[in-house]
Amino acid sequence: MLGALPACKSLPSLSREKEAEVVFALGPRDGFTSPLSGALKPACPALEFAGEKFALTGAHKKTLAVVVADWSKDKPRYLIAGYSQPGLPDDFARSLSERRAQAVRQYLIESGVEAANMQTVGYGFDSSPTSSVVVIYRQ
Amino acid sequence: MSVLRLFIFLSLSTALVPCAQSVTLPAWLRLLKPMSRAGAPRAALKRVSVSDFTGGTGESALRGLVKELTQAREFTLTSESPDFTISGSSVGGRVTGRVVNREGEKLLDRTYAAPGLDENLKAFADDLIFAVTGKPGLATSRIAFVSDKSGTKQVYLCDPDGKDLQQVTHHTYGCVSPSLNADGSAVAYTSYKTGFPVVQVLDLGLGWERTVSDTPGSSFGSAFSPDGNRLAVVMSFLGNPEIFVIDLTTNSAACISDTTGVPGSPSWHPDGKQVIFSDDRGDGPRLYVTEVSETNEAEAKRIRWRTGYGFCADPEFSPEADSVAFTARIGSELAVVVKGWPNGSSRVIQSGGAAHPSWSPNGRYLCYTQHGTLYVQNLYTGQKQAILNGHGQITEPRWMK
Repeated sequence: MLGALPACKSLPSLSREKEAEVVFALGPRDGFTSPLSGALKPACPALEFAGEKFALTGAHKKTLAVVVADWSKDKPRYLIAGYSQPGLPDDFARSLSERRAQAVRQYLIESGVEAANMQTVGYGFDSSPTSSVVVIYRQ
Repeated sequence: MSVLRLFIFLSLSTALVPCAQSVTLPAWLRLLKPMSRAGAPRAALKRVSVSDFTGGTGESALRGLVKELTQAREFTLTSESPDFTISGSSVGGRVTGRVVNREGEKLLDRTYAAPGLDENLKAFADDLIFAVTGKPGLATSRIAFVSDKSGTKQVYLCDPDGKDLQQVTHHTYGCVSPSLNADGSAVAYTSYKTGFPVVQVLDLGLGWERTVSDTPGSSFGSAFSPDGNRLAVVMSFLGNPEIFVIDLTTNSAACISDTTGVPGSPSWHPDGKQVIFSDDRGDGPRLYVTEVSETNEAEAKRIRWRTGYGFCADPEFSPEADSVAFTARIGSELAVVVKGWPNGSSRVIQSGGAAHPSWSPNGRYLCYTQHGTLYVQNLYTGQKQAILNGHGQITEPRWMK
């Protein structure tokens, strides 16, 4: 039993999300249109998140493959907007929705999408849709 | 040897537990014990006498002042052997008030010349409460909150009794997450006026609005420092949300958190040297406290503050820094909890969907929202009062400190 304990160090933590090795800072927001000020077209179906999770699942990555393929054609810019369901503390909901949007942006960067072509925003449940989704708007 | 130490420890523990239990009061006697936030019995109230006010509006001033002081419940109003005596005069709404102690020493002698009698009386009531008790009064304090009554979320202000309601923002896409500075002269909030969340400060006296943070990503969760010169905010331009402190005098910002999680709702310690915030690092939002370094070179200490709850947000230090109020999730519903700082027991103040607690300046009351209604609860008596109901969905109340 004691001999097996050192091997525990290599086991992944069950409670924590996997952290990215490199985090890319956001570029200037000039020229990006907010979904509040005009109807924007989503680049793919909304990504739904369960509970307070902010890590991407296999289903999310499958959906995002559409965006990666779309980007390689004419290199558009995307606004990644996070939303959350009511019932959470307001400020936590804003931060959580922003964090989810950042997780999507991080995955798209790692998949080859140019970091400067993406902006994130977290609305919590201050704006519709008031559900736990991330919507990628093509600019 | 270690077995012997363990045996001694266990023996002492079992010997001490009955002693600790023996001083616990029976349930019926606990009701007689004065309820106190810190657990200590309350000091006897000072005896204060209000004598006649001279002048044309003296009689109205006297009535108004007695009403203010009765509502404040900071001391006993009596003419029998008073510790302090209040006197004054009022002409044309102006109020001159004096406070003299038992030895005849003058503690306060001030004239209030604001346009309205009520405004002057409130200012005098707060000053004399501070002169007698050393704690701030609530008559002139304000509560900022968010309401969707106008169709979009906007920031409003009201008195602690829900009166003198005032809408302070009118942005097209709304404003949320307000924070009042210490003297109530400015309010910081997150504005969606550009379609993106930016932090702005509105000077309530002059009416000008200033954008403090318009960085890529989101900016939200502003909280004024006790001296009013700094603002703790969440910004995400680095690629993940982090807590920053913005110096409003120099427009410089410093990151005080170190997380790849979900930080939010920063709030200042009354000494202005620490900030408490929630952070979800993958296992639910917990509370963390970080020092705010005065220089760039100094290394800031960060600790996780264990509350016993797996979901905590919206923390706020009490004015005396002996407790922290926060929103916890108990079962599937939110609840307001107060826990002693840095160590102490937790007390559920209100469950059933109560959220976003904020302390009154004197630390005796908490305001919070529950199902869209704004409540103020006396922490000594447990008495709860809905001060604003039917004014849209009210969220994020923040009491001026």
